Amino acid sequence: MDWHLSRSGDRLVGRPTGRVDESNWEQFSEALIAAVREAAAAKAALVIDLSGLDYMSSRGLRALTMAKREAGEAVAIMLAGPNPRMREILAISRYDKLFAIIDAVGPEA
Amino acid sequence: MLVRFWGTRGSLPVAQRVETVRGKIARALVAAGGRTFADEAEALAFAADTFDFAAFGTYGGATSCVEIEGADDAFLVCDLGSGVREFGIDAARRCAAGHGRTHHIFLSHLHWDHIMGFPFFGPAFDPGATLVIHSGHPDAEQALRRQQEEISFPVPFDWLRAKISFVTHELGVPADVAGVSVTLIRQHHSHDSYGYCFERGGKRVIYSTDSEHKVDNMESEAAFEAFFAGADLVICDTMYSLGDTVSLKQDWGHSSNVVAVDLCLAAGAKSLALFHHEPTYSDEDIQRMHAETIRYEELVREARPALKVVCAYDGLEIAI
Repeated sequence: MDWHLSRSGDRLVGRPTGRVDESNWEQFSEALIAAVREAAAAKAALVIDLSGLDYMSSRGLRALTMAKREAGEAVAIMLAGPNPRMREILAISRYDKLFAIIDAVGPEA
Repeated sequence: MLVRFWGTRGSLPVAQRVETVRGKIARALVAAGGRTFADEAEALAFAADTFDFAAFGTYGGATSCVEIEGADDAFLVCDLGSGVREFGIDAARRCAAGHGRTHHIFLSHLHWDHIMGFPFFGPAFDPGATLVIHSGHPDAEQALRRQQEEISFPVPFDWLRAKISFVTHELGVPADVAGVSVTLIRQHHSHDSYGYCFERGGKRVIYSTDSEHKVDNMESEAAFEAFFAGADLVICDTMYSLGDTVSLKQDWGHSSNVVAVDLCLAAGAKSLALFHHEPTYSDEDIQRMHAETIRYEELVREARPALKVVCAYDGLEIAI
């Protein structure tokens, strides 16, 4: 998995690419936590652009959970562009109730 | 081994309401479309072919009670939820046909929904019966006696006629119980709960209910993967969605279908029984959860062997 964090207007956009699985979910989690802290310091929302991910195991959901706990009320986290498989997993786990899910990061990114 | 589910509901017994039954009948009549049937058997065959489980059945509403058949002339029963009343009636029938009258009862924990059936458990009144109550809790006897104090129930514990004894097990140390090897693991739940592994003849059944798996406790996850390893059947608490267990219902002591599948796939288990159903769920809700769990397993399995996902209901039997 590769990770890239950028600023887009009043949002931070984190973009993982490749796969999140048993072998690298901790790296994904650390990147998310760091992004949440940076967003909190900048008083910005955090968009996690999932469109470049082929696969995310439930370890990815674990990382998202820890990021949300870190964010608390201070940082709004949105998930953008999950592929159909990830969208199903987010629905079955009811993580679509915990996170706002948007189709794409948007043109301002 | 044969696993027989006598109670599969979590927290509180539930019963079908009149509007639910009327709805099932009305849908059946509409689907029949004016057909006529020679007898009940023909109607049953039509319904079995036409309807899904939620329409043509019910998951039931008795609280936790699971029988594991396969011991040497003794009954093995997990938990004393309200389902144990029906088990007791059936056990009496089998005893009348010559089955031994020893009952080994394994308590996951002492919360009300897991012991509430005991005052209504017929064999406890049988002077020829022997009840051995196994637990990880040293205070199991206190819990059973307390619910039969006068303020709660008219028949005190000491009036029971069966020979009753209590065994507190050491964790992780297999014990031989009527020819079956039984091992306990401590689980995260208020006042603790215990999961059980039953093994005999190369077959392995896990009973793990009222067990919360915290997302940040990797050590515990590894321990449960080892405990479930290679199981033929894992009966697992799947009361809530994963989303609920990490938010509103965090620390309520329960698990999710997603975590159950993850643990079973990692452990190389062969089948998973969804168990301890949320009492507010209708039959349609539980059926939907079952379908979603099957789909989730397909989505995350990848190269691993397939995990069969069944949904427990009161009356289900699974041959191992």
